[in-house]
Amino acid sequence: MRADPTATVDSRVVYIISQLVPVKPEQILAEHRLREDLGMDSVSSMELLSMLAEELDLDVGVEDIADVHTVGATIALAKTFLAKKGA
Amino acid sequence: MLPRADEELVRPLLAQVSRFALESIDARAIDRASAIPQRVLAGMGELGLFGLTLPEEFGGSGCSLPVACSAVAELARADRSVAVTLGLHLGLGTRGLVALGTRAQHERYLPTLASGNCIAAFATTEPGAGSDLSALQTRALDDGTALVVNGQKIYVTNGGLAGLYTLAVSTPGLGGSARGQSLLLIERGDAGLRVEAEEHKLGLRGSSTTGLSLEEMRLPYSRVLGEAGGGARALGMILSWGRTLMSAGCCGAARVALEKTVAHVAERRQFGKPLAALEVVREQMARLTARAFAMEALVDEVSRESAETLLVRSLAAKVFSSESAWMVVDGAIQLHGGLGFIEDTGLAMMLRDVRITRIFEGANDVLLSHLGAGELLRATARTPLASSLVEGALASAAKDADALAAQVDSLRQSLHARFRVGVFRQPRWLHRLGRACMWREAIDASVRRAIRSGRTDEIAQVALLTQEARVEVAALASEPSARELVEQCLAQALPLPEVRA
Repeated sequence: MRADPTATVDSRVVYIISQLVPVKPEQILAEHRLREDLGMDSVSSMELLSMLAEELDLDVGVEDIADVHTVGATIALAKTFLAKKGA
Repeated sequence: MLPRADEELVRPLLAQVSRFALESIDARAIDRASAIPQRVLAGMGELGLFGLTLPEEFGGSGCSLPVACSAVAELARADRSVAVTLGLHLGLGTRGLVALGTRAQHERYLPTLASGNCIAAFATTEPGAGSDLSALQTRALDDGTALVVNGQKIYVTNGGLAGLYTLAVSTPGLGGSARGQSLLLIERGDAGLRVEAEEHKLGLRGSSTTGLSLEEMRLPYSRVLGEAGGGARALGMILSWGRTLMSAGCCGAARVALEKTVAHVAERRQFGKPLAALEVVREQMARLTARAFAMEALVDEVSRESAETLLVRSLAAKVFSSESAWMVVDGAIQLHGGLGFIEDTGLAMMLRDVRITRIFEGANDVLLSHLGAGELLRATARTPLASSLVEGALASAAKDADALAAQVDSLRQSLHARFRVGVFRQPRWLHRLGRACMWREAIDASVRRAIRSGRTDEIAQVALLTQEARVEVAALASEPSARELVEQCLAQALPLPEVRA
């Protein structure tokens, strides 16, 4: 199931995360760390960023995700690339 | 396998281990009884093996990982069950406690662990969670006065022998971590712990493997090992030690299988001459010899890495050494002919013993995917091996290794360009890249070892193995099995199941 394309970026990111870890969307906070707080391992956290790029049709390179470790940073990444796309 | 820098220090220890193994370890009897005699465990304790890597302050020897690897490899020559029992104790069993434990935890546990009066175990796997730690169902919940633990662990190596268990459990809310995992120290006598019956296994029959049931266990907070909620990060460090020690055991097994085979093919005559005179046999022997050399070179080198580098390189060492041990022992049986199939040679048991090494401490296929993902995120460039300091055959081997590394890098670059960040949703390619990395690490370590030794036989072994590696990596980079073709093959036998998140 895909995220609602009319929803905000924040909620779309949270929805995608909730597809990967057994945590309800309303329990996911911006300050949550992908690994320590949400229980993702190195591969699943990278998979999240892959799904995000696919869902939002973003051209994100591997080099762009090195510092993305929290839900908030994931949302910020999505917004940055959406802005680039719209520019 | 002997570590270079520690050679003088370790040689007497290894001589003692070797003598002890010869006099006290009867591998076939252990296999038949599915248990290690108490006198063997006590003898290992008297030799100080259980305290090898534990701090001197608490009765250990304070030795490094390479020294422990040498001891485990030496024991594995005699018996893999004994080697695994020790390797698990020194690696997964005590590494976390030594590195992350509090002073009080050290004082409470380390002295008896060092003497061998208490053996350590480590429990992660559950009926519903193997390589996927985020799926752990065993939980420790904070009720305000204690941690209440409920759950089940399976396939716990040393489970029936251990007095202390390090458990990986889910600890929602603990340490401010919404869904984190933590490590807990469980004592054998803790109320609520039940050690299940011994499993009947294909190999490593003398090694204890049990399940654990944890029912309404109430643990004081002092049993949390390391940072509450920080279990995932700690696990990586602990597992990297465990994998390296396990890899050392593979080296010992492969080396002894090879030695037996060298003796056999020199003696056994067919078609009027020794097997060792037949060209086809010689080629097989050369390939097995090259494998054994590369395993030892890689494990030796990886065991000296810093904790951070060990995390990634131990993946390559584990996969390469477990695959190679299987290959070498299988090849040894083939070259022994029918005799290899008979238990008396010890090779049949060895084959049963080494089979699990491709599965436990992280299934190889999962580890290869992790290795591939790590390679995609790698920030530092590899230093070329070919230089003006090496010449002749060595220079050629170094150039070949550099060419292999260039092949791996080319695959990495092509995946970056083709999939961008989406590459992490391409498990087939992560796996392939991981395998290519494994080859690069094995060949690089072998070349460096050959450079140090300057031995022509070792240089030739590297050259032979590099040929094999380059062919395989070239194949990995191509598209020999497109996903569509795989699905067509399985259309009748195994249609793709619907997966719900």
